[in-house]
Amino acid sequence: MEKGIERGQQFEIEVDGRKIIAYEGETVGAALVAAGMHTFRHTAKRNQPRGMYCGIGLCFDCAMVINGVPNTRACQTLATPGCRVEMQEGLGRLEGER
Amino acid sequence: MKEAELIILGAGPAGLTAAIEAAKAGARVTVLDENAQPGGQIYRQVNRGFRVTAPGELGHDYERGQELLAEFSAVADRVEYLDDALVWAISPERELAFLRHGESRSMRYRQLIVAVGAYDRPVPFPGWTLPGVLTAGGAQRLVKTQRVLPGERILLAGTGPLQLALANQIVDAGGKVEAIVEAGNIDKWLSLARSAWGQRTLIADAWRYWSGIRKAGIPLWREHILLEVCGEGRVEEAVVARVDQHWRAVPGTTRTLAVDAVCVGYGFVPSVELTRLAQCEHRYDPRLGGWVPVRGETMATSVPHVYAAGDCAGVAGSFVAMDEGRIAGVAAARALGYLSAEKAQGRMEPSRNRLVGLMRLREALDEISLPRPGLFELAKDDTIACRCEEITLGEIKAALGDGVTDMNEVKRMTRMGMGSCQGRMCAPALQEIIAREQGLAPAEIGPLNPRPPIKPMPIVAMAGHRELT
Repeated sequence: MEKGIERGQQFEIEVDGRKIIAYEGETVGAALVAAGMHTFRHTAKRNQPRGMYCGIGLCFDCAMVINGVPNTRACQTLATPGCRVEMQEGLGRLEGER
Repeated sequence: MKEAELIILGAGPAGLTAAIEAAKAGARVTVLDENAQPGGQIYRQVNRGFRVTAPGELGHDYERGQELLAEFSAVADRVEYLDDALVWAISPERELAFLRHGESRSMRYRQLIVAVGAYDRPVPFPGWTLPGVLTAGGAQRLVKTQRVLPGERILLAGTGPLQLALANQIVDAGGKVEAIVEAGNIDKWLSLARSAWGQRTLIADAWRYWSGIRKAGIPLWREHILLEVCGEGRVEEAVVARVDQHWRAVPGTTRTLAVDAVCVGYGFVPSVELTRLAQCEHRYDPRLGGWVPVRGETMATSVPHVYAAGDCAGVAGSFVAMDEGRIAGVAAARALGYLSAEKAQGRMEPSRNRLVGLMRLREALDEISLPRPGLFELAKDDTIACRCEEITLGEIKAALGDGVTDMNEVKRMTRMGMGSCQGRMCAPALQEIIAREQGLAPAEIGPLNPRPPIKPMPIVAMAGHRELT
């Protein structure tokens, strides 16, 4: 698995209260996929599951609530020790917003 | 407002070579790159935190990328490289606005080279929104730079050489590829090899990929297409079928595979939002990926001071992009007065000659990988056509019944293309589908108009927008 490349420092991130492993330099999206978690959000109109699609920051299907900020692209956001990730329901809400 | 001599948008193969040539000629260059490090998609470096321990294991693209990045470093004293810079608006008055580290700024340029690349062609088919379906380019980024596999039983479906490269990268990362489904006719690959004669490095790559697939025992189903992906909440099965020359399924040839990830790659679409906002003239050419800016032989667009180089001006791969970038870089330096006409010609010549050699290969590749009509008949009426706004193809067809014949009208009537991706994921296929429904040529129904900001950005950043001084 590590052919030619060595991973950085290992740490944990929190996804909907569950702790998963991530590495320095890894995106949140990559950490989720590595942990076998493929559904990142549910859509606003039809409540359908969505995950990583384009993988390069264009489609916004991987939008999640990361550290309280909704519509954050998991494929573009680097995981950091202790960061909080939540599945996004619909259009998402800012923390404190009712 | 601050005025830069030469701004280059993008730091992939074309942007880097353009910066190298312009800087070598003496120009001061500002590179605005959306990524954290130069390299673009194909030469994307591993993220900070990862460490390359055995460069030899990472393949020819990695080596070529390192060579190019070294060449870029060598001119660093004349180049300002701005990472994490999203150019969100551009005007023909030689002004652009960009978002960087949460702040929005605008600046002017004397010359501009747009080299923002291309993205995987999105193709709607039943099940394409299920988690576990991702683009080949997205999967490649996961595997290549982060060593994360998209699934345990992976199907690759689409057309062209990227599929073979991706299969090898998945195997190298310890993954299992169930099959490669190739819509094109591989018998034509022999003629491709003949056209590539003289392009030794490309032949060596192709051979390595080919033998890698054989060695790993991955079945390659040629003239087959992915019809549908099914599953409860995620990918569980993929349905494929044999196709005719129009990529239409041959009845009675479907088969179902148990897989948990599907990587789809039908070539690329040029990113033209910025050249369109700059009001460059564009034309529709399916062989180049769709809408492309019209260019002269120095890569100049129809708008003075604006050049376009690489895949954003017509998909042709990294080799072509590097030479187009060099030509544009020399031309911009010449326009700024750093080179005589004669010197500029001399510096463009080697690139021009290489481009002639690459042209035959490119034509042969197009012949195999050009999307055929069947590709745009995969979506059913209840298939989501616009992923962001969750508009089905049926809903779009209903709007067409009202006599709509223009992409922008369809957008206004249905909200198709109004979501976060701003039409990048739906418009390329809908351009083809809607045109066929209306009995028109895709070019006739016009491109979807881009609107600034070309990607979603925080409103606080826009509120705090200032001119760079």
